Amino acid sequence: MSWFVINLLNGVSYGMVLFLIASGMSIVLGAMGITNLAHGAFYMVGAFVGWTVAVKLGATLGLGILAGGLAAGLVGLAMERGLLRHLYKQPNEQVLLTFGFVYILSNVCLWVWGGWPRMPFTAKFLTGSFEIMGRAYPKARIAIILFGLILGVGLWWLQDRTRMGAIVRAGMDDKETTMGLGINLELAFAVIFFISSFIAGAAGVIGAQLLGVRTDLGMEVLLLALIVIIVGGVGSIQGALLGGILIGVIDAFGKALFPQMAMFTMYLTMIIVLIVRPTGLLGRKI
Amino acid sequence: MVVANRRTDKNSIMTTVPYLAGALILAIIPLFLSRYGQGLMTRFLIFALFAMSYNVVFGYAGLLSLGHAAFFGAGGYAVALLKLHYNVDLFWITAPFGLLLATFVAALFGIVALRVTGIYFLLVTFALGQMLYSLAWNVKWLSSKGMQGITGINLPDLGIPGFSLDTTSFYYMVLICFIISCILLYRLVRSPFGLALVGIREDESRMEAVGYNVWLYKYTALVISGAFAGIAGVLFAYYNFFVSPNHLGIATSFLPMVMAIMGGLGTFLGPVIGAAVFIFVETFASIFLPQRWPLILGGLFVLTIMFAREGIGVYLWKIWEKVSHRYGIVEG
Repeated sequence: MSWFVINLLNGVSYGMVLFLIASGMSIVLGAMGITNLAHGAFYMVGAFVGWTVAVKLGATLGLGILAGGLAAGLVGLAMERGLLRHLYKQPNEQVLLTFGFVYILSNVCLWVWGGWPRMPFTAKFLTGSFEIMGRAYPKARIAIILFGLILGVGLWWLQDRTRMGAIVRAGMDDKETTMGLGINLELAFAVIFFISSFIAGAAGVIGAQLLGVRTDLGMEVLLLALIVIIVGGVGSIQGALLGGILIGVIDAFGKALFPQMAMFTMYLTMIIVLIVRPTGLLGRKI
Repeated sequence: MVVANRRTDKNSIMTTVPYLAGALILAIIPLFLSRYGQGLMTRFLIFALFAMSYNVVFGYAGLLSLGHAAFFGAGGYAVALLKLHYNVDLFWITAPFGLLLATFVAALFGIVALRVTGIYFLLVTFALGQMLYSLAWNVKWLSSKGMQGITGINLPDLGIPGFSLDTTSFYYMVLICFIISCILLYRLVRSPFGLALVGIREDESRMEAVGYNVWLYKYTALVISGAFAGIAGVLFAYYNFFVSPNHLGIATSFLPMVMAIMGGLGTFLGPVIGAAVFIFVETFASIFLPQRWPLILGGLFVLTIMFAREGIGVYLWKIWEKVSHRYGIVEG
């Protein structure tokens, strides 16, 4: 029983990180129709900046998360305003451009921070563990679950209960009419892209506890985000949350039960979901 | 009449000259190159073929696939597995086997992936490719002892007594495969079938309304494209002496996509130009700036998108048109 609970907690905490990674990318893909392959690279930038602030400069983890989010958000905003803005409705060009940024950002991080991987880190008061059913369990993982839930509720509120969210959903369904109503979609898109990149960067610092900080995170995280988006469906916070937790839990139990088939369970889930529901579990038609 | 005839002649001169010049350069250039340079040219031809096969699906049929390495890798693994488990080197056995395996994988992928369209097609093909990647990573039979991937591949045996391939003759063998594939692919995209694919790319529902079986066209395009990617994979295994799970996964799937977009999507020779630019920039950047080559490559993608959006190939073609008009090769 305790084996089950521990693996479940492992899965859910990993799933929360996956949710944070995928949510921004999914919304940008659904709302703006932009395939941003650099999303994982934003995560990496956030992770490195957060590491600098929280570990090297010795500030608090909260400050690190904020700094990581801001750094990634600003890089994202610059890319959107400077380049991507000219490429709406041109998926091929978006793919090439944002993939170019995976190379560029990975190499810049290697340049600035060097190639050695950083140890996982977390806030001081979250180090150590407490007991669940007679087993020690790290506090940091529980903190990740709580943090993911809070951010998830916040994002869901932003999406379903605010004017901003209404504009995004309207733009997804009918862009021309939305613009015809006098809504500045350009501005809305810039804001969405900033928020999405910000979450990616913040996730980089939060997820550092599990994934560490390395210069090859850009690609690895992109893969994870794509898997979650496939399972959960494009364009909704709920979908990313469900997909993230499902994949996280399946991965945790897969690793515990069939360690030699490490990634296989994840990909198998993805294929099964695709065969049963090609648009993902909670996907919108786009 | 006479003028009209002359014009068609000149026009065909204008289109054939770059093709012939290209073929001639490819045929004689190894004579001036070191073994390393010849290897580089071989690499370029293999990836050019891979990018061209990808272009059939992406450029002509408009299907954005992110799992094309699965077909490429299937070809490569076919060669590697025959060598590893049965010690077969004979090209006339390994190549058809690689071709068949790649075609088979493409046929399976098509059944699953063509249930969806648009961005979901990208996601599904990605998922299928990664599935093969994880299989190759986890199943012991698909690896040499104690490692991920298969080593110990030699240059192929052509079954001619007293003759064995070296770097130079292997280059010519790849060149012959490349040219044959080029001719076949050219005939394919200029055929009614190829035109129908372009029609599907431009307006799928209209093609459906006029009575085309859109699904079957897309499916056939994917399978044919997979077969050619498989040939590229067979050649690559012999070039690289090593195949790894990475050659089935997303890291390799990106390459033909990037090459095709960079060179010019939906143009016949665009992917070849894209492959040339990619391979040579990658190689030279990694020689002269080993630390910074990804930065240069990424910068190149961005510059291409911002300044030569239709692709470098199309850009070069326009320059050639201007030049040939100016010097009266073609009447403007």
